[in-house]
Amino acid sequence: MDTVFVSIFIILAGGTAALFLSSRFVLMQRIMVGATTLGSIAGLHFALTHLLDDGPVATATFAWLHIFDLSFTADSISLFFLLPIFLIPPLALIYSLHYFTDSKKNLRVAVNYFFTAVLIASMPLVVTASNMISFALSWEIMSIASFFLVLFDYQNEEKRKAGYLYLIFVQGGAMFLFAAFALIYRHTGSFDFSAVSSMPDSGKLLVFILALIGFGSKAGLFPLHIWMPSTYSAAPSHLPGIMSGVMAKMGIYGILRIYLLLDAPTSVFGNVVLICGILTGIFGVVYALVRQNIKELLAYSSMENIGIILIGLGIGMLGADEGNQAMAFFGFAGALLHLFNHSVFKSLLFMGAGAIEQQTGTNSIEDLGGLLKKMPVTGKTFLVGSTAISGLPPFAGFISEFLIYYGAFQGVDTHRLSFLLAIFAIISLAVIGGLATAVFTKVMGLTFLGAARTKKVEQAKEVKPSMQWVMILLASVCLFIGLVPAPFIHTAFAGLRDISFVSSYNAQSFLTVVQQISETTMLFVLLILALVMLRQFLYLNKRIRWAGTWGCGFTKPTVRMQYTGASYADDMVNFFKWLTPVTRLYSGITQIFPRRATWHMQSEDTALMNYERALVRPLYSLVYKLRWIQHGNIQLYISYIIVAVIILLVFFL
Amino acid sequence: MDSVFSFCFALLIAPLFPAVIQKVKAWFGGRQGPPLLINYYTLFKLVQKGSVYSTSTSFIFKIGPMISAAAALLLLLFFPFAGAEPLFSFQGDVIVLFYLIGLGRFFTILAALDTASPFEGMGTAREAFFSSLTEPTIFTILFLFFKVSGSLSFAGFFSGPTPVALVGEFGAVILLAAVALYTVMLTENSRVPVDDPATHLELTMIHEVMILDHSGPDLAMIEAGAWSKLLFYCSFIASIIWFPRFDNFLLNTILFYVVVTLIYVSIGVVESITARYRMNLVPKFILNSFALMFFVIILTIEFAQ
Repeated sequence: MDTVFVSIFIILAGGTAALFLSSRFVLMQRIMVGATTLGSIAGLHFALTHLLDDGPVATATFAWLHIFDLSFTADSISLFFLLPIFLIPPLALIYSLHYFTDSKKNLRVAVNYFFTAVLIASMPLVVTASNMISFALSWEIMSIASFFLVLFDYQNEEKRKAGYLYLIFVQGGAMFLFAAFALIYRHTGSFDFSAVSSMPDSGKLLVFILALIGFGSKAGLFPLHIWMPSTYSAAPSHLPGIMSGVMAKMGIYGILRIYLLLDAPTSVFGNVVLICGILTGIFGVVYALVRQNIKELLAYSSMENIGIILIGLGIGMLGADEGNQAMAFFGFAGALLHLFNHSVFKSLLFMGAGAIEQQTGTNSIEDLGGLLKKMPVTGKTFLVGSTAISGLPPFAGFISEFLIYYGAFQGVDTHRLSFLLAIFAIISLAVIGGLATAVFTKVMGLTFLGAARTKKVEQAKEVKPSMQWVMILLASVCLFIGLVPAPFIHTAFAGLRDISFVSSYNAQSFLTVVQQISETTMLFVLLILALVMLRQFLYLNKRIRWAGTWGCGFTKPTVRMQYTGASYADDMVNFFKWLTPVTRLYSGITQIFPRRATWHMQSEDTALMNYERALVRPLYSLVYKLRWIQHGNIQLYISYIIVAVIILLVFFL
Repeated sequence: MDSVFSFCFALLIAPLFPAVIQKVKAWFGGRQGPPLLINYYTLFKLVQKGSVYSTSTSFIFKIGPMISAAAALLLLLFFPFAGAEPLFSFQGDVIVLFYLIGLGRFFTILAALDTASPFEGMGTAREAFFSSLTEPTIFTILFLFFKVSGSLSFAGFFSGPTPVALVGEFGAVILLAAVALYTVMLTENSRVPVDDPATHLELTMIHEVMILDHSGPDLAMIEAGAWSKLLFYCSFIASIIWFPRFDNFLLNTILFYVVVTLIYVSIGVVESITARYRMNLVPKFILNSFALMFFVIILTIEFAQ
């Protein structure tokens, strides 16, 4: 356990040093990156060694403020969550070396580095905390640090707004969390996590729902996701990778942890989580489909993947209720592995989006095109990322989705409700998979392929090497997990060691399946290589010509005639308009010699709309009536305090 | 030995069957139709040619055909034609293979978008949309077959104590699944009434318009892949309808391919007597199959607890 604290200390020291070295920009960047990398390697080493050898559970306790204990425990689940926490941030910071190039903004960058270090340091504490005090403390540090990260461009009003929206959701979520903790404390009289299961069954459901809302707002559960698109597009491009890939997973961790702590007395927990996962996944992918801004689209795709992870957890919970160990085991293992995979390919994709934005100044699919030739490394790594996130073999996403499918298929012999939910899980995974393919062919095809739609895009150049290498590394991890999944699946299985009701399951027979999947993907790769050679042979001494694209006889094609993101998604958007209302503004053609015509499509996030209608406006009109309380007279404010104290003394003592 | 033979035979005979469809359509139209070996001639002709590439394309355009062809070939390696043991098989191979078909589609779409042609964009949008609608049907079918046979591999579906077959205690629901699978087959292989491979206008095509700019050996690979995929789907349906009962491998193979031919004939009949649906009606047609499968799932809730 000491290793984790040492690595946290190194990372924090790097962040603090950055504050003091802000005048020497390059040195500051290097120290920050060096410290984070060093700390993360130590942390990764700790997590991996403890995860893989079946040692005793590491713990540590400190006294705090004389009456509280801060205690930390690293069981197998915590250890598994430590992997993405220590893997992604150093890579993101290496990427930032050439992303933050404006040394005039040095102070701002230094502050950003400091809060990044605080965020990275807080997350290991969140996943290892073993009582409510230490959990709440680390959770709040994490949330506040990430809020300041979003405010990087604080002068831009849009981005400031995004930061406030994020803060509302973060703190609102924390409020629900504290309510849940308070309920537990009232029943058990103890802050320790180990006491949670002793609370009476009747109260557990309420605690779980409160915690689900609290953690769900961090993870981006539907309908608590609305902060994600604006927040991820507001933060500097290396950060959404950390926020979506790692920090949002803390919400998942919380849901899993509270489920295990409560020792689930009813099947309702699993059902609720599974249904939440299905809704989140489907809404996420449909919203992603209608977005034309790459970062917003990736934010919604994060929501979709959170949905997939929750479906996995839900399958696991269903299996646990039914006593179906295989179902529980593969559900949980799939969820854990998908969470790890998602942290890899989502940060890769966000980095790709950042590279595009840096070179072209825009993130709108409608203005891009043909970037693969200008930015070959970014393009190829983005291709790997989009294939992986669509869950297609031979890349990482497929392996984890396969585990979840495998778990769901084990539900074939369960009873009515569980059976129906298992089949719903399979159907929604299939729908999400199909639509994710549509989403990522749209992003990949329209930004990187075809022809450039604007001058600026045509002049784009490849990004600097440090950014390239990080993307290459992440892309190779995606491919490696897809081709040789066994060690990663093994690690995910090791992560389940301390979940009592699945730890006895023997997954030996499945490891042969994993071996065969790996062989099949290898076979597939070999087949492609064979076809490549066949193709080489067939084109030997053949005449190859280059000409314009066949335009069906049209002689004056322009790049603006290409299919756009909006037109690509149009049929699908029409089909799903009951999920996401779309308004189209078309100027129409009225004259014989038509003037410039315009067409604009805007899609609404139903959750956002309903918040505004049902929550914000009523709340605002209520609060408006109470404005007279706030008048700026400090004497009267003090009198409020005195009145409040008197009331408390009279009635509650 | 049987496995190798049945794979090679399937690979070699795949281009023959689409000609059967053309023959049937020609017979309905009162024409003579092309010779049965037309697709072999086509393949031979394409392989001999060079290619013209669009200046806007990148390497994606060239690897697209290979990936879709490799995915289709892999299907043939895993499928038990006429009940013969396939060359490869494992628990869960169905999921891997349907996802590999998805990978092939992913790259076909990207290759089409690589040309910057608005027509191909139109085709890709439709392909992405319609195929995403077939996914839930496919996976519900797999779930049903898993429930019936207790196996998650193509080989396991049709062997073992309770194989997936029309004759047997699950016959009624499997009939419905076969109908759903037939719909999926028409959709995934761009047949009428979803897509018309013989139409003359780019605006009304789906699959054909996506491969508009491919030529020469690249096009040959796409075509070979498409024929193999169609053979796979028809064999899947044939295996459900007709279940091998004899010890004689040759007899099984002959009977099996007779059933496969009948399915191709039925595609020809469907194409002759129906027109392609308007594009906005296609989703409803595809979702019919899902509604059917969902009904089947409701029926099976009470089965075999």
